[in-house]
Amino acid sequence: MDRPSLEELLEAVGEFLEKELLPGLADPRLRFQTLVALNALGIARRELGLGEALEAEDRKELGALLGREAPLEELLGALAARIREGQAPPGTLAFLKAHVARKLRVASPKHLERYP
Amino acid sequence: MKEALEAALREVLGPGEVVALKRLPGGASKEAWAVDYRTGEVLHPLFLRRAGGGAIYRGTLSLAEEFRLLQVARAHGVKVPEPLGYLPDLGGREAFLMRRLSGEAIGARVVRRPELARAREVLPRAMAEELAKIHALPPLEVPFLRPSTLPPWRAALEEAYRDLDALGEPHPALEWGLRWLLYHPPGELPPVVVHGDFRIGNLLVDGEGLVAVLDWEFAHLGDPREDLAWPLVRAWRFGEDGKRLGGVGEVGPFLERYNALTGRGITEGELFWWEVLGNVRWGLGALKQARRHLRGEERSVELAVLGRLAAEMEYEVLYLLETHG
Repeated sequence: MDRPSLEELLEAVGEFLEKELLPGLADPRLRFQTLVALNALGIARRELGLGEALEAEDRKELGALLGREAPLEELLGALAARIREGQAPPGTLAFLKAHVARKLRVASPKHLERYP
Repeated sequence: MKEALEAALREVLGPGEVVALKRLPGGASKEAWAVDYRTGEVLHPLFLRRAGGGAIYRGTLSLAEEFRLLQVARAHGVKVPEPLGYLPDLGGREAFLMRRLSGEAIGARVVRRPELARAREVLPRAMAEELAKIHALPPLEVPFLRPSTLPPWRAALEEAYRDLDALGEPHPALEWGLRWLLYHPPGELPPVVVHGDFRIGNLLVDGEGLVAVLDWEFAHLGDPREDLAWPLVRAWRFGEDGKRLGGVGEVGPFLERYNALTGRGITEGELFWWEVLGNVRWGLGALKQARRHLRGEERSVELAVLGRLAAEMEYEVLYLLETHG
């Protein structure tokens, strides 16, 4: 594809929302929705940068935990079923914390700073 | 809508004119409007709740029921906005009117604004006092709140599993929380009227303290500890994590006051189970909200983002169980 790249396009939209649109908005509802939209763009940009590597970590760790290889969604489904049946493999809690922390690095990185 | 509203207001407050009508932020499933109505020399600040796209959770009250519950709560001395009239058909949707009180309900401001410092000091005890009154409301006066056939804790878990299975996406962290809850059931208490969403963000506060308890649509008959633990959920501390009670204070004085008023002997330890449940439920709530956007029931970037923010509650569930479970 030609430039701007995907990352550069998202950046341009973010800059427009933040620097041009937001300062002129008086309606609190629209201001709030615009801030939420900026947050959504931030999530998309972080996923673009980190998503593939984080998913690979998830797949590797979860594959080791369950002793098999499969697409990540399928492995997560298998782990969920094992937990529900009371058959969670040893190491499940440690994996889950790392897995959710990886989701948060994309969705809400500041949230992780709220924990000791 | 202005004409329909004026026709309805004529019945309730006498002839007059709607001089301001403004949609307020938030309130995805139910719209919120600020209305100013003038009758002669008197200006009435009013608040209108009107049905929106659809309900978030199963078992939420209709606006007619919420209106009735507000009347009952007010009659028993609970601090609520004065309910003025129920409107079965306002522009094709049901609605009701209340008097609009002044104060702050936005959670991030309640926990942080310097001018509300005094209110934060008195809030833990004030919250306990309102909950004591709510939990003493006579169920016979609100017969539309029906007890579940299962014990409240068990009914809550059944509903959570139903919600989880309806997502169409695996959430092993929530499974972990639910499994723990299922295998550590709380002792049972006689059911009471439970507000169902009692937290900072749904409490109107001014410089002096608690003005009114808002948003009654999740009320049901249940376990009093559900209401006591809900404001402890980290999301409702709005960033003031050190103050476990809703980002405004400590749990001790809150629970002490509640126990003194109700004669119950509920301990902080007992609230832990309900705090974990609260986090699981709000995680599921966020995921469900996102699906309302994804299914096209209500397209909204705000709802969409909640699907990703549910991971915050998942992390909290794991943290709670790792540290205290």
